[in-house]
Amino acid sequence: MAGRGKLIAVIGDEDTCTGFLLGGIGELNKNRKPNFLVVEKDTSITEIEETFKSFLARNDIGIILINQFIAEMIRHAIDAHMQSIPAVLEIPSKEHPYDASKDSILRRAKGMFSAEDFR
Amino acid sequence: MGLSEMEESCLQLDEKLLRFMDQLELLEEKRAALNSLIEQGWFSISKARYSMGNKQVSTLQYASEIEPLVCVSARTLDNGEVKFCTEKVTQTSGNESGTNVSPVEDIGPQETSVRRRNKPKKDSTEKGGNGKEVSEKLAEGPLPRKSDQNPQQDPLKWFGILVPQSLKQAQSSFKQVIELSAEIASLQTAVLNTRQELKHSMKEKQLLQETAPPCLSDTVVH
Repeated sequence: MAGRGKLIAVIGDEDTCTGFLLGGIGELNKNRKPNFLVVEKDTSITEIEETFKSFLARNDIGIILINQFIAEMIRHAIDAHMQSIPAVLEIPSKEHPYDASKDSILRRAKGMFSAEDFR
Repeated sequence: MGLSEMEESCLQLDEKLLRFMDQLELLEEKRAALNSLIEQGWFSISKARYSMGNKQVSTLQYASEIEPLVCVSARTLDNGEVKFCTEKVTQTSGNESGTNVSPVEDIGPQETSVRRRNKPKKDSTEKGGNGKEVSEKLAEGPLPRKSDQNPQQDPLKWFGILVPQSLKQAQSSFKQVIELSAEIASLQTAVLNTRQELKHSMKEKQLLQETAPPCLSDTVVH
């Protein structure tokens, strides 16, 4: 791990994961733990949240890409993550276009101009 | 004295606010580019699936051994920002990491050199020895596999040897998306960092306003 950079992890639907794996970000480590999670109809929110938390805990992951509609399911976990590494990036999915008003980072940035900040 | 300090603090605040706005604008631009590239990628995957078959290009076709071809290097700058840069995983580092792991199965052509076809037999007597030749070939042992030389397999090959052009287009789209996502991740940390700085400057300004004499603070506020 010393000579290599950090990995990019993906939590997304089938096509999103397939696309990013085609791009070459996929990894199955020695414990056969993947750096991606394909979310299907029967994938539970608990499983998604656990996977997200396990990605946050791994020190070989630099960026976590997550479909925005999945991020909505585990919003509390994403909002609770304040560190800059790994960076969490919300991306659109086939059925759900990207909505900037839902993005955790942009909402945090928008919070700059709320009344609380001026107090 | 208090006025000049206040002016300075206001100027810094303005400068930071402008930087913050610029970063947000850039983030929005890059987001739009990323979204359109992802869309293009999905469209290409769908086209590939249309030409290859409904059940193709699915999770079931992922390889059993997956090695990353792209990584990101995260550098923390002096001001607390994190800069993410994508880098290709070199062949040597792949070999180092995969010393104890069995090589990735390569479903491409096994021979790297041009195959020489069997010459036509001169007489009928030699035709009988075909079975013998096969057994001799088998006794020679396995030929050097391409996968032994290249443990990092192109993910395109998971989906077949002769994949449609649209799948290659999807791959190139997603490669661009990966690079762009590293840039966006850097920008996001920069935005959050500038936001923190702004908050800090605002508090400083408020403190200055409180400590400054009332007549001076009035002139600054209005």
